[in-house]
Amino acid sequence: MKNCFLLLAFTFLVAGFGSVNAQLNKINFEEFDLDNGLHVILHQDKSTPNVTVSVMYNVGSKHEDPSRTGFAHFFEHLMFEGTENIDRGQYFKIVQNAGGTLNANTSNDRTYYYEIMPSNQLELGLWLESERMLHAKVDSVGIATQKGVVIEEKKQTTDNQPYGTIMQETMKRAFKVHPYRWQVIGDPDHIRAAKDEEFQMFYEKFYVPNNAVLVLAGDIEMESAKQLVKKYFADIPTGKHDLARELIVEPDLNGEVRDTIYDNVQLPLILQAYRTPAMGTDDYYALDMLGTLLSKGQSSRMYKSLVDEQQMALQAGSFAMPFNEPSVTLAYALPNMGVECKDLENAIDAEIAKVRDELISEREFQKLKNQYENDIVKGNMKVATRANSLARYYTYFKNTNMINTELDKYLAVSREDIQRVAQKYLVEDNRVVLYYLPKSQQQ
Amino acid sequence: MKKTLFLFLTLLVALSTQAQLDRSQMPEAGPAPKINIGKAKSFELKNGLKVFVVENHNVPVVSYTLSLDIDPVLEGDKVGYVSMAGDLMRSGTTTKTKAEIDEAIDFIGGSVTTHSGGIYASSLKKHSDVLLGLMTDVLYNPVFPQEELEKSIKQTLTGITSQKDDPKAIAGNVSDAILYGDKHPYGEIMTEATVENITVEDCKNYYETYFRPNVAYLVIVGDITLKEAKKQTKKYFAKWEEKEVPTHKYEYPKNLDKPFLAVSNKDGATQSTVVVTYNVDMKPGHPDAIKAKVMNAILGSGMNGRLTQNLREDKAWTYGAYSSLSTDELVGSFNASTQVRTSVTDSTVTEILFEMNGLRSDIATEEELNLVLNSMTGSFSRSLESPSTVARFALNIQKYNLPEDYYETYLEKLNAVTLEDVKAMADKYITPDNALILAVGDVPAMKSTLKPFAKDGEVVMYNYYGEVVKSMPLPAGLTAEKVVADYVDAMGGAEAVNAVDSYMMEGKMSIQGMALNMKLFNSRPNKTCVETYMQGNLVSKQVCNGEAAKAISPMGEQNIEGEMLENMKAEAIIFPETQYAELGFKLELLGVDNVEGEDVFKVKIVNPLGKAKTAFFSRESGLKLKEISETPQGNSVTLVKEYTEVNGIKFPKLITQSVGPQSFDIEFEVIKVNEGVSEENFKI
Repeated sequence: MKNCFLLLAFTFLVAGFGSVNAQLNKINFEEFDLDNGLHVILHQDKSTPNVTVSVMYNVGSKHEDPSRTGFAHFFEHLMFEGTENIDRGQYFKIVQNAGGTLNANTSNDRTYYYEIMPSNQLELGLWLESERMLHAKVDSVGIATQKGVVIEEKKQTTDNQPYGTIMQETMKRAFKVHPYRWQVIGDPDHIRAAKDEEFQMFYEKFYVPNNAVLVLAGDIEMESAKQLVKKYFADIPTGKHDLARELIVEPDLNGEVRDTIYDNVQLPLILQAYRTPAMGTDDYYALDMLGTLLSKGQSSRMYKSLVDEQQMALQAGSFAMPFNEPSVTLAYALPNMGVECKDLENAIDAEIAKVRDELISEREFQKLKNQYENDIVKGNMKVATRANSLARYYTYFKNTNMINTELDKYLAVSREDIQRVAQKYLVEDNRVVLYYLPKSQQQ
Repeated sequence: MKKTLFLFLTLLVALSTQAQLDRSQMPEAGPAPKINIGKAKSFELKNGLKVFVVENHNVPVVSYTLSLDIDPVLEGDKVGYVSMAGDLMRSGTTTKTKAEIDEAIDFIGGSVTTHSGGIYASSLKKHSDVLLGLMTDVLYNPVFPQEELEKSIKQTLTGITSQKDDPKAIAGNVSDAILYGDKHPYGEIMTEATVENITVEDCKNYYETYFRPNVAYLVIVGDITLKEAKKQTKKYFAKWEEKEVPTHKYEYPKNLDKPFLAVSNKDGATQSTVVVTYNVDMKPGHPDAIKAKVMNAILGSGMNGRLTQNLREDKAWTYGAYSSLSTDELVGSFNASTQVRTSVTDSTVTEILFEMNGLRSDIATEEELNLVLNSMTGSFSRSLESPSTVARFALNIQKYNLPEDYYETYLEKLNAVTLEDVKAMADKYITPDNALILAVGDVPAMKSTLKPFAKDGEVVMYNYYGEVVKSMPLPAGLTAEKVVADYVDAMGGAEAVNAVDSYMMEGKMSIQGMALNMKLFNSRPNKTCVETYMQGNLVSKQVCNGEAAKAISPMGEQNIEGEMLENMKAEAIIFPETQYAELGFKLELLGVDNVEGEDVFKVKIVNPLGKAKTAFFSRESGLKLKEISETPQGNSVTLVKEYTEVNGIKFPKLITQSVGPQSFDIEFEVIKVNEGVSEENFKI
């Protein structure tokens, strides 16, 4: 009888598992290429009368010339300056006047531009995006203005923020040859020194249909949307430059790199950066789950141990950087007052050693799976977020359907995988350790 | 037939795609889509808990938001206890430790957060029962363990330390202190001392008093039906006991009666955070609220707001500049803010005030108004994607006593706003004359530049706690030698200074109504001569040729000897600052001070004879602003009001000299370097 009950519970658990995929409403989409190489993804959702029109260009800071860093991000500003048919300063106005909103963002791997418009303004959105793909204004007035803005942006987001320079300091030590060694925002000196022609060259090379994916998501009619896409994008010429990029492989770190940075901060911060594989690889999924194990939620290991029980840290966490090429997994902590940095670092190391030395429990493992299920379900609630994911999966993996299948990648990770990646990557020889200390502690 | 049709269709498609597209024409909008606002359903439990349900079956998630509708509490010398009580509710119940609660919530991938105003819980629908069990355990049985309180205090203290670096946190504290004052709950500042005063009893009292169903709303949003919601709420919330909850009334804080200039320091800041802010008496649902929001959007909302257009797109001083006009049941507020590089702090204040006044003096354009109306319409429509928006609408109608159709008719009301309305709102609510103008950043570099904005020329400095500070603390590691070296740099640099062999200055002054002229000659190493003329006639002269000295006055001629001679020789050394150490001068950094509203470093300079004077060097420019030395007649004070540059060196142009009660201004009209001086001038 008792056994019977157990069996029942087991079946229930399995059934519960089966429902994981059943519950995830599949996200439907259609995709095709135009003759000029533009990849197009259409996703219909008529919940509200709005449509997201977005373009992801396969250009990020990793595509930049090492002596001209910050270009991809600079274009995120420049691309709003206007086009041959849109006067300077009108881009925002047109979208706002249509009741829409817009923005853009740049990462190490790609740049993303989008408008969210009322659905009766779909054509306007296509006109706007096609205009800047065809003939954006890359002129001296816009360049000069945006140089000033970008340099202030760097001060605001990096230099004038406590710990604002942390990624800059970490990545330049973790990478010696790979372009991840510099930051998306770039070096203000490079931006200042760059000539107008250099920006024009960059535009001609990267902002072309064969280096982009266009997504329409929301309240659209599939057939008329296709016709409109052709109307506005089919006549944009294919880029003339060779887009193939030499894959730069960063050699192993081969030994810990350790440094101290004195900055305008009140509290120290300890950061460890372990060199780890690219997003999309099996080991990446295992590492991502490991980060969740260590730091998501108050029962996560680092939070529970360092913040709650030992009260050594104000904050502590760990996560894998979602980069398209091999990058880093970070572990960090801010010590509570009166706690020595070295003691806190030892405590972080102890938590990581525990993952290397012991298999995680079944219950913790189930918790991780539940957390991923919850996150992925919630992550796709908004149409605009779905549009971004669709574009990203295509740009990074040429596999748009990963929006529906990525959870499987996580569910395929085993407890042993988590232990194995901890043993393989989260080791001393493979990390950069930085202490951020208040300037007042500088000798 | 079929074939022809097919051919025709292909042709049509081919034609339509190949027809030359006129890109210069912006596409027309299609017919406006209909905007539907989902309906919230509501019911009330016997204990007074009001429940709202918004169904949304797109994804299998349900969230439960419990919020208390209570007055803010004045916390006195325990500021922080209310929020700590809220945080600590999930830190242990009669049956579970904090670690057990955490684990149970994380296990279902859900979240439960508590705060002083309520509880939020969310998870996949299949875990709803577990979630509600945890949520109500926290609601009914919190124990506020002493050790959890201690942890929380420790973390809050560390948190305060890190906030001291955050310009936004500094600006928030300073403006709260100035605008609301400490008698208002919005003006209370959490400090290390108030946090350390908090006890378990305080937290328990707060919880016992205010967490009651008769002042609470429960909003359920997501993949759930009304029927399921009724069943759940009955099961989990019916036993929550009601009790009368105290109310609190506060006096509306007094508005500033003139522009008030304040600064606060952030070490090593490369940017200034500039804020122009004041209180606005506007409750949610106020008849002016929508019109005033439109007016504010023209000024400072998004990229097209006048502030960003001016400061970012036109001047490239900042990444963005925005303003907000917010309603509140107690005190609403206007706030315009931006972050700019330090050197344009004052210009930024000028531009923000210019844009604020501009909206009052000139009527906005039709184009600006339409832009804002269209944009706000779109944003309203987009916000409806989130089911919590619909829930919030229902809640606001209840909480603020708004008309039932307030949100259904929101777009009508919005699109009825006219240019005249905008002007009227600007006249009424844009009041820069009552504003706090605050800059957080490198105080020495910006403070004095803000003086012109204050009616009385006063700029007050505040610290992180919103307290007035007299002067800046000394930067770590600063020495008197460094201050003097900076002074030499500010004058033009050691190289330029050392290239001066001699200089002469001619000036005029007025003593008790008499116009006097003076000539001053100096030459290396320590030759000096001061001549005073009245109507062209020499009335007095002091001269030192480096070895001997004499003084000529209407009373006769006198050789200077002994101690006085030695002292004159020491004081006659030109530009001793580049060679203090070699000459045997002793320096001591005395601290910080203020000269005519400008922050200065105070340095004691003792000459080789042991005679001391005190010099005051500007923190901002590095230049010497003041010098005090002892004379037999009493302290002699020299103030330098203005410098001028000659041969790459800054010389005082305008000085005020006072000895005892006597005070006179000297203006130097001629300054010559390495010319106009001969050995004749020093003949004895």
